[in-house]
Amino acid sequence: MLLTPLHILTLVAGYLICAMIAVLGFVVLREMYNGNIDLSKLISEPNGDASMSRFQFLVFTFVIAFSLFLVVVATLTSTDPRFPIVPTTVLTLLGISGSSYLVSKGIQFSDPAGLVPPGAGITITPVKAMIRYGQTQQFKADVPRQPGSAVHWAVIVPVTGGGDIDQNGLYTAPSPPATPAGQPYPILRATIQATSDAFPDAYDVAVVSIS
Amino acid sequence: MDLLLQLVRWEVLIFLGALASLIVYQLLNGRINTQYLLYGRTSAANGRDENGNLYFSPERVQLLAATIGAALYYVMQTTETAKTGQLPDIPSGWPALMGGSNAIYLVGKAYARWFANRSK
Repeated sequence: MLLTPLHILTLVAGYLICAMIAVLGFVVLREMYNGNIDLSKLISEPNGDASMSRFQFLVFTFVIAFSLFLVVVATLTSTDPRFPIVPTTVLTLLGISGSSYLVSKGIQFSDPAGLVPPGAGITITPVKAMIRYGQTQQFKADVPRQPGSAVHWAVIVPVTGGGDIDQNGLYTAPSPPATPAGQPYPILRATIQATSDAFPDAYDVAVVSIS
Repeated sequence: MDLLLQLVRWEVLIFLGALASLIVYQLLNGRINTQYLLYGRTSAANGRDENGNLYFSPERVQLLAATIGAALYYVMQTTETAKTGQLPDIPSGWPALMGGSNAIYLVGKAYARWFANRSK
């Protein structure tokens, strides 16, 4: 068969596109294997738990991809190639899966606990502070999984003489100790602990230096 | 042209096969996180138990079984009808079955998040 310039151009373009896709596919797979493309959270929720909805999406995506491939390959030599017809019931099934995924996300996002890793219990700000004897310092505690929930405050080190903190997080440093005339006051470091009432094993600490 | 078609065929087959194998391998060896796939969490507002509000979720197990069953069935159907040039149709009851399975999962999840108090 005599090849026209258009045929030759078509073949060259086809081989080039094929080569480009092969290189791209190889690079993507290699990066996935090496971990540079991170798949570790492929089916994970924002809080770190694996998600059944995402897993279902993953399975159906591969099933449809393989099915399309099988159908296309089986009819590749056809003189009238066309994209395979996708039955309505299959589209319905994919729609159900997609809708379920969306509703599932809606349920999850309706609750702060669904968005935050279980380890993220409570966070104090500021974590360090420097004040004078007798002064006050306001601390704040954030409970991401249950914003606005009650927090218990305490001065844990030293147990006595480290100052006071009320249940609003307002710390009051102790009065200055008696020192010889002309001597500076010793630096006292107090450790503040905030414990979440909703998550009793979640706590955070801050250190205040008093001079 | 036949050589190019063969090349494309093998290229897609190798890519899809390698991608699927890689994902299955990483799912099995734990590089892709599957922790708590069959567990749900109740709302933090309902208190917290020693497992961080985790509970074993039968609704997820049934959804997993339905998903894998539907996937295997569809792949088998495709291998039998691929030469017709179209994706195989599925029985009309299957969307209802999968819809029901997903609904059970969603109702269970919503109940756990909004109403259940599983704390001890």
